[in-house]
Amino acid sequence: MRWLILPAVLTLAVTAHGAEPWEEVSGALGQVEALPSGALSKAELEDLIAIGDELFIAKFTSAEGAGRPAATQAILPTKRRNPATSAFARTSGSDSNACSSCHNDPVPGGAGDFAATTFVSEGFTNSDFDTTDPQFSNERGTNHLFGAGLVELLAREMTAGLHAQRAAALVKARQTGAPQTVDITTKGVSFGSITARPDGIVDTSNRDGIDADLVVKPFGQKGVMVSLRQFSVNAMNHHHGMQPVERFGPRWTGEADHDGDGFADEIRAADISALVAWQATLEPPARITPEDTTWRDLAATGSQNFDAFGCATCHIRTLPLDSLSFADPGPLDTAGTLKDRDVAEPAVYELEFLEWAKTLERDDQGRVLVPLFGDLKRHTMTDRTNERLGNELLAQRFVDRTAFATTELWGVASTAPYGHRNDMTTLDEIIRAHGGEAAQSAMAYRDATDRHRTTLIAFLKTLVLN
Amino acid sequence: MRYTLATLLLLASASSSLALKMAFPFDIPMMEEEAASAGIAHTYDGPFEYFVGGGAASFDCNGDRMADVFLAGGAGEAQLFINRSKAGGALAFEKIDPGLSANDLRRVTGAYPLHIDGDGILDLAVLRVGENWLLKGNGDCTFTKANRLWNYDGGRAWTVAFSATYEAGNRFPTLAFGNYIDRTAPGSPWGTCEANVLARPQGTDEVPNYSTPQILEPGYCALSALFTDWNASGEAALRITNDRQYYRGGQEQLWRVPQDRPARPYRTADGWQRLQIWGMGIAARDLDADGRPEYALTSMGDTKLQALDDESGEDRPIYRDQAFEKSATAHRPYTGEDGKPSTGWHAQFADFNNDARTDLFIAKGNVEAMSDFAAFDPDNLLLGTLEGGFYEAGDKAGIALKTRGRGAVVEDFNRDGMLDLLVVNRGEPTSLFRNLGRRAKPETDTGPMGNFLAIELRDETGANLSAIGARISVKTGNLTQNQTVAVGGGHASGQAGFAHFGLGVAERASVRVQWPAGENGEAEWSHAYRAFADHHIVITRGAAEPLMWFPPQ
Repeated sequence: MRWLILPAVLTLAVTAHGAEPWEEVSGALGQVEALPSGALSKAELEDLIAIGDELFIAKFTSAEGAGRPAATQAILPTKRRNPATSAFARTSGSDSNACSSCHNDPVPGGAGDFAATTFVSEGFTNSDFDTTDPQFSNERGTNHLFGAGLVELLAREMTAGLHAQRAAALVKARQTGAPQTVDITTKGVSFGSITARPDGIVDTSNRDGIDADLVVKPFGQKGVMVSLRQFSVNAMNHHHGMQPVERFGPRWTGEADHDGDGFADEIRAADISALVAWQATLEPPARITPEDTTWRDLAATGSQNFDAFGCATCHIRTLPLDSLSFADPGPLDTAGTLKDRDVAEPAVYELEFLEWAKTLERDDQGRVLVPLFGDLKRHTMTDRTNERLGNELLAQRFVDRTAFATTELWGVASTAPYGHRNDMTTLDEIIRAHGGEAAQSAMAYRDATDRHRTTLIAFLKTLVLN
Repeated sequence: MRYTLATLLLLASASSSLALKMAFPFDIPMMEEEAASAGIAHTYDGPFEYFVGGGAASFDCNGDRMADVFLAGGAGEAQLFINRSKAGGALAFEKIDPGLSANDLRRVTGAYPLHIDGDGILDLAVLRVGENWLLKGNGDCTFTKANRLWNYDGGRAWTVAFSATYEAGNRFPTLAFGNYIDRTAPGSPWGTCEANVLARPQGTDEVPNYSTPQILEPGYCALSALFTDWNASGEAALRITNDRQYYRGGQEQLWRVPQDRPARPYRTADGWQRLQIWGMGIAARDLDADGRPEYALTSMGDTKLQALDDESGEDRPIYRDQAFEKSATAHRPYTGEDGKPSTGWHAQFADFNNDARTDLFIAKGNVEAMSDFAAFDPDNLLLGTLEGGFYEAGDKAGIALKTRGRGAVVEDFNRDGMLDLLVVNRGEPTSLFRNLGRRAKPETDTGPMGNFLAIELRDETGANLSAIGARISVKTGNLTQNQTVAVGGGHASGQAGFAHFGLGVAERASVRVQWPAGENGEAEWSHAYRAFADHHIVITRGAAEPLMWFPPQ
């Protein structure tokens, strides 16, 4: 046993949430006494997931620290210039009570309706805004989280691959005394090329769809989040005003109550671990075979058209994954989000324990074929003739406003509406909105016959959340 | 631990915030002394002339961007050590022959690396008791004496202080040499301070020509000098800290160094206020990011921390001392039984724990056997606090040794993103501390600290390849950190290479550079560069993007 559950969780029959029925708190916090570490058994993992489930649906209250009257939504601990006039605001936040307030369609962990969009801003200046004017924030739809553990594992392996290629190029450049220009490709996805020089300099100006650090950041519409842990830490503060200790605690802010709501150490690292465990183990979406023969036939043709139109260039059907061992904290986070080097031994969640893992296809090398329909890469999505997706004014975290990460299409049939703003009600609309690097594919779709367009939609409608 | 509101209110009645309950909640770096295992065997020693000095120069002499070190030896030989450390590993150095005679390497008090002739290879200004050397770097960690080549008269003075700047319109750097006691004058050493020297490049030759220096009189026994743009005018002035032990009627000095005109000191009429201290070392850093640096001045007794006063003006350098209010006086040993006043030498601002707050290192040590001053006088590691003050952590960090510190360099020798520390001690082996990261549980364990960003500037538009005088402005959230690329200050010690910024929990930063005017151009701000934390980047003037650098593995 490498972690402990407080007695409260063992008395679920009495108080489902570790709090008395009359207490106005979620009761979900603090059930994991110590940060999980080492390889968890199946039972231990299931217990942790159960706590994570509670945390995900918990409606945090002001009686346990919800709200951030003295802090902004910024990912860096930032004090407000003026006290918040209200605890919640749909624009600048805090904007929800629970994770599942937005990630709820069709079930917790799912996507969100247009009603559940959020407004992303840096939160450093102009952190309070009461307008949806895009000069203050970018409006973002809520993505679903199913299969997120597999996505993060893919991203980690891809990053390791890219970094290994960079390291090898540097070694060769230093050994030969000559610059080495190498294509950087991982899991079949090309990220352009880099040039390593004998003096240890790496020129990444010809990289493609990735930051200069060559870290694949798989989460968020812009592909800017490294890990579920980082996302969770950010989101807890932004959306709920629940400040995780690992970033907002005394070590970085000098305060136990940075947001000034009277509650110290609002979310401990162990709680974040439980949240991560729950998200990382969510079953991936599936592709169904319709019982309706007409739909089945259309989908079969649509699958072919998916390739023919060029959709699969970016929405790659599967990416191979070497390992189903999910370590948390992970290897790629930086200070402010726990990373593996911060702890004696990260916890390891074997996704193999989960029933759904048995359904995953494997290739002849034994690698899991993750059916995400994505490439974990950014692409320019607008051009002069099609700016439908170019409606933002603010660059987010160094990413140009016209660039977005490829949306993984698994589960797309269950997660309407579409687009980074969740403002397109049909798949037809979002396909037509593709511009920039996807313009050719969108044109192929637009130029196709009604029937062929229908087949593609029919195919996409088979990609559902279980 | 959870507080109810009622509990909190009770707590609040005892202290205004929860923050006040924590002495120092931030990371304290663990510094492990490993000079011997790293191959640094060196002592600075000698008679009276070497009671002061004892400097170190940290720079890359062989093109691998790892910081090599040249250490003054006093009466003994200076030594050059090549950095053989691997990224993140134990520190490792190898002594090599710099190609100079044993005689040339003796009587050295300190050294500063800089580009003098603009050939792309760092050169070295070597300060001595007797003739100073300008050493031309050969690129293979050997050097050639270039005094004659560059028409520089190294003089016969006792030199401990040095600084350099690139004045607008000049191809080559302007050099300032701060001299200590004139030992040949009647009555020496009392009241016989040597004048200082300002060597500006002459003519339009292809090589530097320092044939016509200006003698900066009066000199007040300088122990540190620094060209600094104190008023953000774009024109560096020369700040000199002087040792009141030996001058008569002297004071701290600030010289205007106007383009194409002789330097002249700021006087009382200009607002300059007389300050008399045992000035040993200067550190400068724009602590409040207002574009105007603050200065730490080491002394015997209390350290000064000077900031421009509200009554100062565009050309009125009026300073007030903030050391007491910021807990930076460091006037007595912070540990041990010796309660006598301290003796401070090298001072350097840096972020040792990468928390995005500036720290202050001060090398300490009795001059020799001055009984009125502390004999056990450990070096200070003053970690920056949330309120802008400092917290002494030298003992907790592991640098409180029974040594007599003099010069020092704060440098990331193994390129792991955490600043290490080399201290030259008088009469005792040089100390080399590796920063292992924060103290974690169990107490013997260490862990990562905050994020960092290391920035090297390259200005290939002229000879000022290291962009001396450039201001680097790093923005993370609402925090701006400014550093100026400078040569000078500290105590007889200088360095060239990456500028280190702690970023705390910021995963990225926007970087802007105010490039110096240069030979033909004008000072100009760059666009904002995007940089990801925990990387070394190289920014070349005019480049669209920074380049990344990776150390040897």
